[in-house]
This record gives sequence, C-alpha cells and structure tokens, in this order.
Amino acid sequence: MNEENRIAEAPRLRDWRQHKFMLLVGLTIFVSLVLVVISLQLYNSSGAAQLDLSRPGYKDVRDKANHSGEFAGFPASGPIDKEALDEFRKLYDEKLEEATEIDSFGGDVLSDRALGIGTSTGE
Amino acid sequence: MNHRRSTLLAICIVFVTSLFVPQVTQAQVALPEVQLNNIRQNCIAAQTTLNQLHSSDALLRVNQGSMYLDISTKLMARLNSRIALDRLGGVNLAAITVDYERRLDAFRSSYKEYEESMSSRTLKVDCVERPVEFYENVAASREKRKRLHEDTRALTALLHAYKAEFENFAKDFEGGE
Repeated sequence: MNEENRIAEAPRLRDWRQHKFMLLVGLTIFVSLVLVVISLQLYNSSGAAQLDLSRPGYKDVRDKANHSGEFAGFPASGPIDKEALDEFRKLYDEKLEEATEIDSFGGDVLSDRALGIGTSTGE
Repeated sequence: MNHRRSTLLAICIVFVTSLFVPQVTQAQVALPEVQLNNIRQNCIAAQTTLNQLHSSDALLRVNQGSMYLDISTKLMARLNSRIALDRLGGVNLAAITVDYERRLDAFRSSYKEYEESMSSRTLKVDCVERPVEFYENVAASREKRKRLHEDTRALTALLHAYKAEFENFAKDFEGGE
C-alpha cells in the first residue's frame, strides 16, 4: 500500500479504533446470547427439562425423588459362581419388585369422567 | 445502500414478529353445548387436577426412570459382562438386554412427548375461553399417556423375561458344575 492510500485509510481506521472496546463488549454479549440460546435448546431437546424437578411447578414433589446413587448394584468384576448368582438374584428381585409394584402411568386420570369434561352432567 | 438496509430491517422485523405470533389452532371437533358448559364450569377443577397430575407424573418419571436405569446399568450390564468374560454364553440374556435398552429409549421419548403435550398445550389453554381446544389437547395428552403406559408395561414384561432367562442360565450353570 503506498503512502497516499495509507493517508486516505487513516481516518477510517482511527474511527474504528476509537470504538474497539465497545465492539469487544458488544461481540461478547452477542456470543453469550448465542451460547445461552444453544444451551436452552439442548436443555429442552435432550429431555433434561422434563426431568428437572428444580423447575417452579415441581416444588411439592422435589423432596420425594429417589437418589439412585445409593444403589451399589452387582459388582462389575469377579468370577461367576453360585454365590455371585445368588447375590445377583437377590439384588435383581428387590429391584424388580420396586420397579413393578405400581402400574406406572396407568389408570384413567385423563378421562372425561375424571376431569368432569364429558357430556353427562354427572361426569 | 439505504434502500437495502431498509429492506433487510423490514425482513428482520417480519421474521422476529412471526416468532411471537401465537399459533391459533383450528378446532376440529364439534362438541355439544352441554359438554361445552361442563368444561367451562369444571375448568378450574380440571386445571388443578391436571397440574397435580403433571407434578406427580414428573416425580414418577424420575423415580421410575432411575430404577429402570439402575437395573440396566448396575445389574444387567454387569452380569452380562461377567458372563461374557468367563465365556459362559449368556447370549439370550444379552438379547433381552438390547430389547430392554430400546424400549427404555422409547419410554424416554414417549414421556418427553407426553410432558410437552401437557405443559406446552394442555395446561396453557384457557378452558373457559377455548373449551374445544382444551378438550382436544386433553384427548391428545391422554393418547400420549396411554402410549407411555404401554412402554412401561413392555419394560415390565422384559424385566420378567430377563429374570426367567437368568434362572435358566443359573440352572444350566449349576447343573454343569
């Protein structure tokens, strides 16, 4: 670039350089917003939102959640012998009973009758 | 340049505005007047029930999901890997485990759809102002809940199948010792 072009370029550069800091702040905010939007999108699409009991509507049931970290499970290593099979049987039977004792998501709780939104005045 | 900027700005405004325009659902079902009155009269009670159900279903999903996951990762997977390491076969156990994992994924998807149906549509509609839309959304949520229930029943069946196959394996193993 020759000297004349450089002189012509100088005022434009000066103006831009005067606002470098504001540009940095603006760009940072914009990048943060974009990342927040992406995070929220992932939060909703991954299914985490449905499991998040810290959401405001779930205040009453928050304390009733089980803590799965307490269950140690069947040891991951060791030979398969009669003791190991008995141990597995005991652990599995306990968990099977827990998982199947209620008919999850069954019943007619969303029926017209249950909600009183049917055709009959008695419903 | 100014014209181009104005055009670009107009396009951006239209695009952003369209994101905030509420989606108006055209109701398909014609409900009798008696039913519409029932919906309006029982609106508050129905919404209270639905809100309570939404919370209790979330808790059930967390607890039940946690149990299903424990069984998969801390029981089935570990037993299967130990059997494989000892070269004792266990092919049927592994096959049932694969089915179980698939069904568990289906359960998670079903719940996500059901919960979205409830929280994004059913619970947001004013059943006094829009009783038909409310009724349709409840019907849609009901179907999704039914599908979710089928998934849990299928998971229960697979859990019992795994148990039966485990007992066969144990019997063969102990018989061979």
